[in-house]
Amino acid sequence: MKSIFFIAIVNVLLTMNASFAQVRKAEILATGLTCSMCSNAIYKQLSSITGVDSVLTDLNTNTFTVFLKPDNKYAPNIFKENIEKAGFFIGSLIVTMPASVVKENATQFIPIGKFSPGEEKELAIKIFDEGYITQKEYKKWSKTLASVETYSSKKSNIFHFKIENK
Amino acid sequence: MKKYLFVIGLFFCSSFLGAQELFVVTDPASNMPAGSTNIRLTQSLFKEILEEGYNYHFMPEVSYGINKNLMFRAASFLSNRSNKLYLEGGSLFVKYRFFSSDDIHSHFRMAAYGRLSKNRADIHQEQIETMGHNSGYELGLIFTKLVHKTALSSTISLEKATDNNPSYVFPETQDNTALNYSFSWGRLMYPKTYKSYKQTNINLMFEFLGQTLSDNRKTFIDGTAAIQFIVNSQSRIDLAYRKSLFSNMLRSAPNGIYLNFEYTFFKFKK
Repeated sequence: MKSIFFIAIVNVLLTMNASFAQVRKAEILATGLTCSMCSNAIYKQLSSITGVDSVLTDLNTNTFTVFLKPDNKYAPNIFKENIEKAGFFIGSLIVTMPASVVKENATQFIPIGKFSPGEEKELAIKIFDEGYITQKEYKKWSKTLASVETYSSKKSNIFHFKIENK
Repeated sequence: MKKYLFVIGLFFCSSFLGAQELFVVTDPASNMPAGSTNIRLTQSLFKEILEEGYNYHFMPEVSYGINKNLMFRAASFLSNRSNKLYLEGGSLFVKYRFFSSDDIHSHFRMAAYGRLSKNRADIHQEQIETMGHNSGYELGLIFTKLVHKTALSSTISLEKATDNNPSYVFPETQDNTALNYSFSWGRLMYPKTYKSYKQTNINLMFEFLGQTLSDNRKTFIDGTAAIQFIVNSQSRIDLAYRKSLFSNMLRSAPNGIYLNFEYTFFKFKK
């Protein structure tokens, strides 16, 4: 009973952290589509998120760059949820967010491999959890990271990342 | 033999060519975006073969994406069979996508669907069609593969007709259960490279639609060729011709054209 209570508390805390993630920019590669009507469904879905400033689209590569207003409270899962609502999936997600948020929330943002951030104020990180990379890539990574308990636990508010802008 | 070669040829080409799965007659395994509403006006004009004239059907439909995997559709059926445009019935349809394997520029998806229809028109043919002719239900599975600019889809379903109440009892001499099967091919022809959402897309489609009645094994196979325009990445116009390729069952109007209009209201901005 105590352990359930403890897990519940940890989850609540993690969710609270996620709510202060402050993603400034998200570069999304969507999978499973090749038509402009499908792309438009994703574009409209992403544009409907409160706090989204603008969405840029490359129709030929199905890449969406989402710019968010400052002081939003979104974590990377907002993009997964919305792409899937439109009927598609994420093939790649790179989010740009304050380096301090990544560093201070080490239980939520877990680096794959060596993580030695410099003095940058912002980090662009690529997420490697299930639903943030293609299904083929996920199969590969789940083998590579089989011993990483947080990766195999598939918690929706824990993100495993690599830095993109180093 | 030529027909078989043609079908095999389509399979062969599609493995190289690579979107278009918004078919004229059948549904793809993909669903509507959650929260979006879609209005479709289906019109068909088929030539009567047992009497003079044409059979016109008008079917307004409203679809709604309940969540990412589940959609719902309500349709009403109007036709000119009684010499004026008459509301003959309606149907409710649900589709559930239960499998998705997506990759960059491709996907394979599977869905299950069910339709319940009411119709009060006279029963005038052996063909069972719960979309606009018979009361009854249909349960089916859809398999759709999209690779680059080409979509392939196949459907298998069980359809059962009941009485067209209040006036028309399903004839005892007719078979009231059928197995339906279809194969659809669609390809994006234009544009070669996208520039904006405003660009009109042109899709070419072929569908093969078959039905075999369960007891007497009477069968028909139809071919449909269609050109589809996607306008403003939000609306759709289909122009299609359907022709019976083989049939040994009584059908009152198997050959004709479709002209459909569709508009999607994507999720509104909060």
